[in-house]
Amino acid sequence: MPKFSRSVLLLAPSALLMGVFLIGLIGLITSSLSIDGQLDLGHYTAILNRPDYVEMLGRTLRIAALTTFFSVLLGFPTAYYVARYRGNRNFLLLLIIFPWLVSIVVRSYGWVVILGPRGLINGFASWVGLADRPMKLMYNDFGVILGLVHVLLPFMIIAILSVMLQIPRSMEEASMSLGGRPAHSFRTVVLPLALPGILTGITLVYLMATGAIVTPLLLGGLGDTMLGTEIFQEVMHFFDYPKAAALATVLLITALGVVLPIQIFERWLVRRLSDGAGQ
Amino acid sequence: MTSRIIAVAVLLFLPLPIVIVVLSSFTSAGYLSFPIKGVSLRWYAEFLGSADWLRVMGTSALLALIGATVSTAASLGAAWAVVRHRIRFGTVYETILLTPLIFPHAAIGVIMIVTLSSLGWLGTFTGLVLVHCILTIPYAYRPVAAALRKADPALEEAAASLGSRPWRTFWQVSLPAVRPGLVTSLLFSFIISFDEVTVTMFLVGPFVMTLPVQVFSEVLESASPVIAAVSATLVLFTSAMVFVLDRVIGIQFFVERD
Repeated sequence: MPKFSRSVLLLAPSALLMGVFLIGLIGLITSSLSIDGQLDLGHYTAILNRPDYVEMLGRTLRIAALTTFFSVLLGFPTAYYVARYRGNRNFLLLLIIFPWLVSIVVRSYGWVVILGPRGLINGFASWVGLADRPMKLMYNDFGVILGLVHVLLPFMIIAILSVMLQIPRSMEEASMSLGGRPAHSFRTVVLPLALPGILTGITLVYLMATGAIVTPLLLGGLGDTMLGTEIFQEVMHFFDYPKAAALATVLLITALGVVLPIQIFERWLVRRLSDGAGQ
Repeated sequence: MTSRIIAVAVLLFLPLPIVIVVLSSFTSAGYLSFPIKGVSLRWYAEFLGSADWLRVMGTSALLALIGATVSTAASLGAAWAVVRHRIRFGTVYETILLTPLIFPHAAIGVIMIVTLSSLGWLGTFTGLVLVHCILTIPYAYRPVAAALRKADPALEEAAASLGSRPWRTFWQVSLPAVRPGLVTSLLFSFIISFDEVTVTMFLVGPFVMTLPVQVFSEVLESASPVIAAVSATLVLFTSAMVFVLDRVIGIQFFVERD
């Protein structure tokens, strides 16, 4: 068999799977753009004309942005600590990888058990007599953001860590031995080299936070919806597929509109860094 | 100094809710409360005595097994064409295989409703298998491709020059060289598929249900500690998989770049 036909045969199964995905994506966009078979932006104008939907969009972006912010804030020091740890690093990796691989349903449920009205914190507070009424720790933005940060933080740490482990410690030491102070060496050596990892982490966390359903539903309740939970309710309770398709397309635009520029910037940065290393 | 405190706090914070779920599954009370009232295995007895829960667990395991096998095989084919045949636009093709990763899950859920309903597979096991293959390909592809890049093609050339037929070379020389990569792909995509909820919950129906989706709807509707027992079992499954993965390839695989 000639090499060309063998390649085609080898690529066929994966191409078929990706083809199904692509056709579905096109189907989604066309069904959101048509009403009774005619090209019509009606589903989109209907979304933008509803103040509650605009507010929901704003809430989604705000929660996704805050989740991403806290993930960087907590993820970066953790990745740095693990990368520079001199002891049994595999144990620390286990503390990150294992929770990451446990289903998000289980992890979100864990937070329900901790934050719920009869949960760990409220149970403890009433047991020591701190509070006579349960504190409202979930069914609000606090609970949702806490849950999302917990669920998505491993993505951030792993993304940063995989870049940081490539940076030889000797580079930092060289900078310090040349008179750079630790903070200065950190800012001029570690941070720029780790930036591609941070950007990958931001991309992943932002994407998953905007499209999350499970964590916002379990910790936020049915009241204050986000894009993902709204889509879920349109499909499961109202069977309004065209509206769900339009909302899903809006979700794609909000996600990719932020993510693609970051990806392009990251590629440019990586090219610049490797050029710099070559000189 | 502050950064060290943050790091240690984060490393304790990540496993925390999982530990809490596992501990609370041993309560003897009819509802979850703290401190737990007494220790018992009654919720495990209820879980393992329920034909419904066991059927759903079987579905999840079978789905993950078939999905992981198909997407690992498809990934091996793709990686072979890209790495060994050096097809044109190989890197572009690799990027395409990773695209399911950069789509928000809620959007993939709706996309798959559109696709499966046009195929007549909405709410069927076959439909779930197809979707789980698409979702796990990005996870299955990387380990296989990395193993193939590391394996020395000179061995295959040597076997061929000694008169070994292509299929025999494949089975006896090439495949053993990428075996750790294949096992990693299988385990990794098995875990992803077994734990998947967000996309799957759009696609289940009265005739097919998976364990994480069932847990999700139970948490929304009731507060029975049986959910904690089922969750703890899911955690046990995942731990076993992580243990095997660590043995096969080492946990640092997850933070390595090829």
